[in-house]
Amino acid sequence: MDKEKIEELKIQMHKRLNEAQEFIQQVPPIQLYAAIGVVLFTTFLFTIIRLFKRKSANTVVLTGLSGSGKTVLFYQLRDGSPHQGTVTSMEPNEGTFVLHSETTKKGKVKPVHLVDFPGHSRLRTKLDDFLPQAAAIIFVVDAVEFLPNCRAASEFLYDILTKANVVKKKIPLLLLCNKVDKITAHTKDFIRKQLEKEIEKLRASRTALSSADIANEYTLGIPGEAFAFSQCHNKVTIAEASGLTGDISQLEQFIREHVKP
Amino acid sequence: MLEQLLIFTRGGLILWTCKEIGNALRGSPIDTLIRSCLLEERSGAASYNYDAPGASYTLKWTFHNELGLVFVAVYQRILHLLYVDDLLAMVKREFSEIYDPKRTSYSDFDDIFQQLKKEAEARAEEMKKSKQVGKPVNNNLVKKQGQVMKGSMDGSNKKNSGGDSENGGGDGENLKGHLLENGNFNKNHVINRELPRMVNSNGKENGSSNVGAFDVNKLQKIRGKGGKKTDATVNKGSKVEPKKKVVKKNRVWDDSPIEPKLDFTDPVSENGEENIAIVAADQGESMMDKEEIMSSESESEEEDIGKNGKVETKKKGWFSSMFQSIAGKSNLEKADLKPALKALKDRLMTKNVAEEIAEKLCESVAASLEGKKLASFTRISSTVQAAMEEALVRILTPRRSIDILRDVHAAQEQGKPYVAVFVGVNGVGKSTNLAKVAYWLQQHKIKVMMAACDTFRSGAVEQLRTHARRLQIPIFEKGYEKDPAIVAKEAIQEASRNGSDVVLVDTAGRMQDNEPLMRALSKLIYVNSPDLILFVGEALVGNDAVDQLSKFNQKLADLSPSPNPRLIDGILLTKFDTIDDKVGAALSMVYISGAPVMFVGCGQSYTDLKKLNVKSIVKTLLK
Repeated sequence: MDKEKIEELKIQMHKRLNEAQEFIQQVPPIQLYAAIGVVLFTTFLFTIIRLFKRKSANTVVLTGLSGSGKTVLFYQLRDGSPHQGTVTSMEPNEGTFVLHSETTKKGKVKPVHLVDFPGHSRLRTKLDDFLPQAAAIIFVVDAVEFLPNCRAASEFLYDILTKANVVKKKIPLLLLCNKVDKITAHTKDFIRKQLEKEIEKLRASRTALSSADIANEYTLGIPGEAFAFSQCHNKVTIAEASGLTGDISQLEQFIREHVKP
Repeated sequence: MLEQLLIFTRGGLILWTCKEIGNALRGSPIDTLIRSCLLEERSGAASYNYDAPGASYTLKWTFHNELGLVFVAVYQRILHLLYVDDLLAMVKREFSEIYDPKRTSYSDFDDIFQQLKKEAEARAEEMKKSKQVGKPVNNNLVKKQGQVMKGSMDGSNKKNSGGDSENGGGDGENLKGHLLENGNFNKNHVINRELPRMVNSNGKENGSSNVGAFDVNKLQKIRGKGGKKTDATVNKGSKVEPKKKVVKKNRVWDDSPIEPKLDFTDPVSENGEENIAIVAADQGESMMDKEEIMSSESESEEEDIGKNGKVETKKKGWFSSMFQSIAGKSNLEKADLKPALKALKDRLMTKNVAEEIAEKLCESVAASLEGKKLASFTRISSTVQAAMEEALVRILTPRRSIDILRDVHAAQEQGKPYVAVFVGVNGVGKSTNLAKVAYWLQQHKIKVMMAACDTFRSGAVEQLRTHARRLQIPIFEKGYEKDPAIVAKEAIQEASRNGSDVVLVDTAGRMQDNEPLMRALSKLIYVNSPDLILFVGEALVGNDAVDQLSKFNQKLADLSPSPNPRLIDGILLTKFDTIDDKVGAALSMVYISGAPVMFVGCGQSYTDLKKLNVKSIVKTLLK
């Protein structure tokens, strides 16, 4: 029985093959090539789109003022140690990796594409290259040396929060107060309040300037009300971390929330 | 001695530091070096001086661009260490052999470094000796050669055996044996590279690797001798300079009756009454607040690149250049970059960038490109162009916020007036642009007051008063021949009395070399400690921009009585509408002072005040 069926199938297949061959021979070769080309091209396109999508879905940008500890956090996330210390970065650090704390986990863990962007203000224009692909932004603030840098930090933060990319895509932002292991560090509530106050002032002066400033396409908050981070279009959360001692559980949690494993 | 030697990536991770030296550095010289030198396109310079309380360091650095590594050596400034350059070069070579992007600790490099250091020190010592004796010393040849080979042997072995440092060959004989036995290509290569250099350095004084260090030594001696002499004469000269006050006398013309008084600055003048009735000038929105529409001009750019490329390809064969452009050239060398950089420098100079600055920029770009791999399908000229564009954008992007309104609001909260002083050389348009700024501030509902502190040039006060009347702004004036510092002080007091938010202080124009006037200016700044010192400069200026700004800054620093003097905070570029595409002055001024361009004056009316558009400037410069 089985053999007969297989034989039948074989014969049918042969017939089909012959038919197909005849059909192909009837079609002019140029059309054939064109068809093959179209098929190849579309698959190519699809793969490229897929690649890009994957990249855009899991990029996390670490940013903040110079000296707030971004590079240390980057290496803490990647290798679990700050190595021998860091100096001011001149170029972004980039890496796609599984977070260090998750390397021991079983099962498939999706790697994160992390970008540590230097804080020096001369390099700030390049941040626009990374923001369109970002799934989440981490704004690192130095909790110890906060007050002297408060204005500069809030200006930088204001710039990020009003970027068209950030507002449109509602990229979530984490305010990370770094260096909380030090005794003199400010609490995160204090930092949040100070930043809100500063941004409130900035809003007043920037809206006066807004028509001149092409960079800020969006205004922050609700007119007539004091600014609070809850008014932002995108979700702004606040957390604490310590890059040197490696206490970065809140940061890892945030990354995992937005880069789904 | 050497204080510290660091190896770190451009991303900022320290890969290796010298543990034996291990002195804690005072302050943070490395961070300061990166922030104020390497990121400001000054990496073409030879060294950087860092001053911290209790220490003064000199830093030297070198890049490995292909691997993205930076090597920095720190030493006390009083010691003129001759071997640092040499040592850095050797460390760079050895370290790049064992470097692996995945590795982050290189504890095994300690031994190699010790070796290299000893060797470099010995060579410097020898150089000194040979200088003293006056003829080359050759008897150390064998010994030193052995050392070098050992060093290089260590390096190559480590690479092969994955960091096992005990494998290194002991001396010359041992090395030879190894070589014969293994016939290892890698080692052979290292040694071959090493040998000719050693022969050179010991053979004669003019050995190629030696020349730099030798010259430095010689120069320093000469400087030591000559420097004292010149110092003495300079001191003498400055002492002799008389300190007399310029007193204005009434000039008597031949055929005119003698006027009793030249000072017409009484508050009420003849035609003053009627003019006050003029309605406040309102000419619409200041251009500061208008958006600018950028037109893309990339087509012409590309054409230009094309031309440059053609010139280059003519030299080499068509096929080889084609092949190179597809495969990507292995590593860029200085010689490859030279023609492209030369063309770029010329182009910058035709755009009125000061020569000195164009030169420095090109050096810095060369330093950042040397050793890099050329990507496929690119030409050297376009690579250089892209690097230069990046550098220019970086320079022109302000380091700090230039939001004056924000600062004014901050000052408002503290309940004191915001003081801005306008300084500059003669006839650049200080008063005119002061009026424009006043107009712009007024439009944003800020109470402005002018202070006429040009008590030197006749007519200056009247000029400012006319502006004040048209804009209906209060003006503080005390006539001529008063000390401008006192006038400004009184003006600020007056402003806080009548509740003005901003005081704009107009000063007399002065040449940067005029010491009495510069002293007066630094006194004015010291007495009043303004919130903003705005340097007003013409966009027409060429090479003189460097001199003006550097001298102004220097004089403000030198002549100030306070220990930490104020320098120029911002630049106002005037006459920008007259220069067409020669926008180089903007670049020169920003590069020299490090201060951002805050305003650009671009016309005759009050509304003609703009912000600098960095992108369009860069585009114009590279066109």
